[in-house]
Amino acid sequence: MDNQNGETKKPMTGRERVLAALRNEPTDRTPVCNPTSVATVELMDLVDAPFPEANREPELMARLAATGYTELGFDTIMPVFTIIQESSALGCKIQWEQKDNWPTVKMREPIWENVDDISIPNDFLTHPDTQCVLEAIKILKKEYGDEVAVIGKTMGPWSLGYHCFGVEPFLLLSLDDPGKTKLALDRMKEATVQFGIAQIEAGADALTLPDHATGDLVSGEYYQRYLRDLHIEFVDRIPIPLILHICGRTVDRMEFIAQTGMAAFHYDSKNEPKESMEIVEKRIALVGNINNPETLFAKEPEDVRAEVVKNLDAGVPLIGPECAIPLQTTIENLQEIPKAVQAWHRGHTH
Amino acid sequence: MPSIVNIGRRIELVPIDTHFHDITIALYQEELDACTIFRIHTYSRKDGASGRIQQVANSMHTLGGMSELSNGKIFFPCGDNHEAACRRVFLEACKIPPNTPVEPRPLNTLDKKSKLTMTVDSLGSGSYRVTSDGEGRGAERRVSAIAGGLMKLGEMHAGLESDGDTVFFPCGQSHDALVGLLLVRAPNVRVIMREEETTASRGVLSAPSQQI
Repeated sequence: MDNQNGETKKPMTGRERVLAALRNEPTDRTPVCNPTSVATVELMDLVDAPFPEANREPELMARLAATGYTELGFDTIMPVFTIIQESSALGCKIQWEQKDNWPTVKMREPIWENVDDISIPNDFLTHPDTQCVLEAIKILKKEYGDEVAVIGKTMGPWSLGYHCFGVEPFLLLSLDDPGKTKLALDRMKEATVQFGIAQIEAGADALTLPDHATGDLVSGEYYQRYLRDLHIEFVDRIPIPLILHICGRTVDRMEFIAQTGMAAFHYDSKNEPKESMEIVEKRIALVGNINNPETLFAKEPEDVRAEVVKNLDAGVPLIGPECAIPLQTTIENLQEIPKAVQAWHRGHTH
Repeated sequence: MPSIVNIGRRIELVPIDTHFHDITIALYQEELDACTIFRIHTYSRKDGASGRIQQVANSMHTLGGMSELSNGKIFFPCGDNHEAACRRVFLEACKIPPNTPVEPRPLNTLDKKSKLTMTVDSLGSGSYRVTSDGEGRGAERRVSAIAGGLMKLGEMHAGLESDGDTVFFPCGQSHDALVGLLLVRAPNVRVIMREEETTASRGVLSAPSQQI
């Protein structure tokens, strides 16, 4: 690549590219970023790191996560495949499942009933399922830290509320008693902060922060009332680029999300890239949007390419899948994401 | 250093082979000199994995009347893709434990709904007629349903001058072993469809709010 003086300019590393995009700075090409898992059953075989063990043993977790870079060509490595690591450390019962399925929290057996029940155990950060993440990040940072961005994950308090109280009880609490709900969120947020900071210390370059105030159950007004200020607080207290993740149609809250100071919003394919970019107005980067259950899982590379191009044409600054990809996704479709980004840039080079 | 191989388009997957260390086995398809070649593949490097792939290929050879090349590559003698049928052969082959003798399925089956024996006869040029050992409207309906099942599972076409009892492969070639395999499932295609939907939904992560 040549600069204005005709000198050859060294390409950015994946890490530089991702971090620049998260700072809203120029990049040599749009980074390919997975704020959530890109693990598949075939990749598990490739590196002999299958679920559920790859969610519980740091070496396996790191090995599987690294394939996102070494085999798929993403600019990031994200080892926290699940959304249950800290819930396990908080005491939730976990259904660990098999190689071909996601572990889940047994939400019908909640661990807390009242706000006063909330307590973060002393061993929260030394519990095997949080330690696994921290150790995996250390391994990845050591091995790939100069090349790609290592992204960690810390769950937000709304998601923890679902896991620890159960979805229905937590939603009912939010309807019946906003004061207690805010108090509950305020107490649970300490788990988010503690685990986030521990991952920074382990070497994470950025953190995904899923907080499942999803479009199907929670309104934009709810987001503003319960979560916007909390998310602003996370930006203050967790000194690293944060990527907020909320599934579903979220255009009704993107204005509020853009006010939080988070570095990026990991957004769902139910939102149009162009309309989303118009709402956030470069106050927050967008990433994601490539549809999982239909496109990546069941369609062909040309369909993946079309969605990548739609995001690039809309000016979305980081490209990636909308959420953790289905475990049976084809490798070919995943590899198409970086290929499509590179092809688009070749076509737009003047 | 392991790496991804470019072996065509993946058309089917068994995420967990319970008969061999829970490895994942995939069926890939590629076109080679106007012939569709299928390749059975695993990324697993466990000892014996390549042997397991060969076993699946051997089973597909027997169950689907397919021809083998090497390294898990197989094809239909007619050269056509018969993709849906091949996927079914693959799934059935993966269900067979290692070291189990494999026989082609017969061209008749007991239809549990009608308690009649259904037989499929080759008419040549890729055409097959379904008949039953009973008579009456119930038998006719079941014959027609099973012919419909074969069409769905094997991407076969309805015979042009038939009473719903004749089907044919567009390649115009006979595939007796394949028809025998499909016949086992043809009486109840809805079960197959439901199984496929269940399998497809596994491994798709949903938000906590969707997990209640």
